[in-house]
Amino acid sequence: MRANGLTVYVVDDDPGVRDSLGLMLGLAGYRTALFADAESFLAAWRPEWSGCLVADLRLPGKTGVELQAALRERGASLPVVIITAHGDVPSARTAFQAEAVDFIEKPFDVEQVKAAIGKAFDRESRRLARERERAADAERLAQLTLREREVLEHAARGLHAKEIAAALGISPRTVEVHKTHIMAKLGVRNVAELVRFALAAEPDAKGRAGSG
Amino acid sequence: MPAARYIRDAAVFAPCYIMLDWASYIAPLGPYNITPWNPQPALAIVWMLLGGLHHLPVVAATVFLADVLIRHAPAGVAVTLLTSAVLAAAYGAIAWFLRSQPRFHPGLSTTRDLTLFATATLAGTAAGGALFVGVLTAAEPSFAGSFLEAWLRFWTGDAVGVLVTAPLLLVATDGERRRALASLARRPEAALQMGVVAASVWLIFAGLPGDPSRHFYLLFIPLIWVALRGGMEGATVALGIVQLGVVLGMHSLGVDWLPAVELQALVAALTLTGLYLGIIVDERGRAAESLRQTLRLAAAGEMAGAIAHEVNQPLTALSNYGRSALMLLERGGEGAAQLPSTIGKMLSEAERASDVVRRLRDFFRAGTTRLEPVPATQLAAAAERIGRQVIGASGVAFSVRAEPGLPPLYVDRLQIELVLRNLIANAVEALHDRNAGEVTVAIGRQGASHLRLVIADNGPGLDPEARLRIFEPFVSGKSTGMGLGLAISRAIVEAHDGTLVAASGAHGEFHLDLPCAPTG
Repeated sequence: MRANGLTVYVVDDDPGVRDSLGLMLGLAGYRTALFADAESFLAAWRPEWSGCLVADLRLPGKTGVELQAALRERGASLPVVIITAHGDVPSARTAFQAEAVDFIEKPFDVEQVKAAIGKAFDRESRRLARERERAADAERLAQLTLREREVLEHAARGLHAKEIAAALGISPRTVEVHKTHIMAKLGVRNVAELVRFALAAEPDAKGRAGSG
Repeated sequence: MPAARYIRDAAVFAPCYIMLDWASYIAPLGPYNITPWNPQPALAIVWMLLGGLHHLPVVAATVFLADVLIRHAPAGVAVTLLTSAVLAAAYGAIAWFLRSQPRFHPGLSTTRDLTLFATATLAGTAAGGALFVGVLTAAEPSFAGSFLEAWLRFWTGDAVGVLVTAPLLLVATDGERRRALASLARRPEAALQMGVVAASVWLIFAGLPGDPSRHFYLLFIPLIWVALRGGMEGATVALGIVQLGVVLGMHSLGVDWLPAVELQALVAALTLTGLYLGIIVDERGRAAESLRQTLRLAAAGEMAGAIAHEVNQPLTALSNYGRSALMLLERGGEGAAQLPSTIGKMLSEAERASDVVRRLRDFFRAGTTRLEPVPATQLAAAAERIGRQVIGASGVAFSVRAEPGLPPLYVDRLQIELVLRNLIANAVEALHDRNAGEVTVAIGRQGASHLRLVIADNGPGLDPEARLRIFEPFVSGKSTGMGLGLAISRAIVEAHDGTLVAASGAHGEFHLDLPCAPTG
């Protein structure tokens, strides 16, 4: 489990609960990091952190749910599991309104925690896979020349070679050559895939065109 | 044996009824022998109300016997038999009506009970009087005067007699009321009050010149005093003294019929005023007591919630360590080296859990206030400890100052700690999201017999309106809980003879005054 690089971040103000949870999760094969309150976690937080946040609902200062909100504000999508010693309905509602992966009452069973962390890790893995895909796409897009990107943009709008040629003031033949190069660089087999790729990458492509 | 009991009750009732009839046979009017004050129907009504309507034949017989013995049955035996039956039926009807009312309590514990009783009495005696006068007029045309006038007089005499006397009898026969009366009688104040009532009656009849009814208003003042302090029981006894005094006064002055009716009407007004006031005082007392109970329960509930949370923490840690120890055992070898420290942690968590349970037990022990001398330094240390716990890692500055040489307090330590926790938690909450927040607790003298604890924060404070309402239950600036914290705190402090107020000012500040231990 260590291999996937995911970490369980535990935030609980109770030293006994924090230490014991760290020990148990460590022995169960998770990589863990322990924090006493929301503020110290946020101070240490890095955007590249991935895994799962296990936070107590009632913390001194920011609560677990407020911590989750603060993370979202910073653009972090770390999944959150809320644990609480108050197993009441309002607490559970607050946690789920904040889109917590799970809500666990203290005292809890190790299997319950493992199941919740597993669910969170699944979500995190899917997110990481999507991110890797996007990164790969962006990398491939970056290989295109400026002219090729212009051709791609027009093609994505559904224009034919002739129309693109007219728009860019080049010959239709050159457009066809560009298209072939683009398809090779992006690893797509036909125009349909090309269009789909362009649409998916559009915000990125525009952003780069603007800044470059 | 029911029969024996029936006879025994009748043997008590009949002589009492006849004696009362005889004692109140004052200023009889005209051929109908109508008297201005008839307390004996009250005896009949109360007997049937409490004992049951099967006493009706005894009542009718007694009414007949009394008329024969006292007035020698001027209308003849046959007519007197008929009028006795009519009167007994009217009294029975009043008793029956009251018995058939759901939730009517014969001890007159609510204003509704008293209203029902007064209404039934007025209606029943009016109907009974009309029948009585009607029978006499029909039987003896020679008596015929004004039917309306005779009926009105009869009605006044009976209604006033019952209104004044029956509540006395009802209170005297209600066990709970009698016990309350006994505890009232032991107060030194009671003798003074009754003395003042008796003196007022004397003033009205003998002390002041002129018509007694002119000075009757004097009685309202001591009656209000008695009713406010002693509730319904006190009012009833005072009214009994008034009634007795009025009867003696009328006897000794030889009051005429008309002033006698006027005086009795005044006594009736006084009676209803006193009884309503007394019952309202009782009802208010009961409402206040039930609110106090509710608050005490709510305090226990909040405390139990807090303790459940605190028990859950060590339990969670225990279960985690236990699971870890199992995994270490399975691993063997290198893992086993970590076992002793893990088991040591389990033991300390178990110790923590039992600590919490001990505190829970202490709290429920303290469910009743147990006052003891508590050194001011100990309270300061408790405030310090509570403050640290409440503030945790929230970054609020906290300090406790105590003047040197303070006398010990006379309080229930656990309950006052609960109040302090509440006030400090409130202060910290008021500083939510505020930089450089600060909470201070200052302990100093307040007068000769009290210490004052000032719990202050540098937050925004309360506006004047909120300051007045903040102690009401369910008024809360918080979105969680029920806003009972301050109401509970004030209830606890007042049970200590202390006060808790929100001071006005630009910052949040609460003044908690607590009594010192008696010296010597």
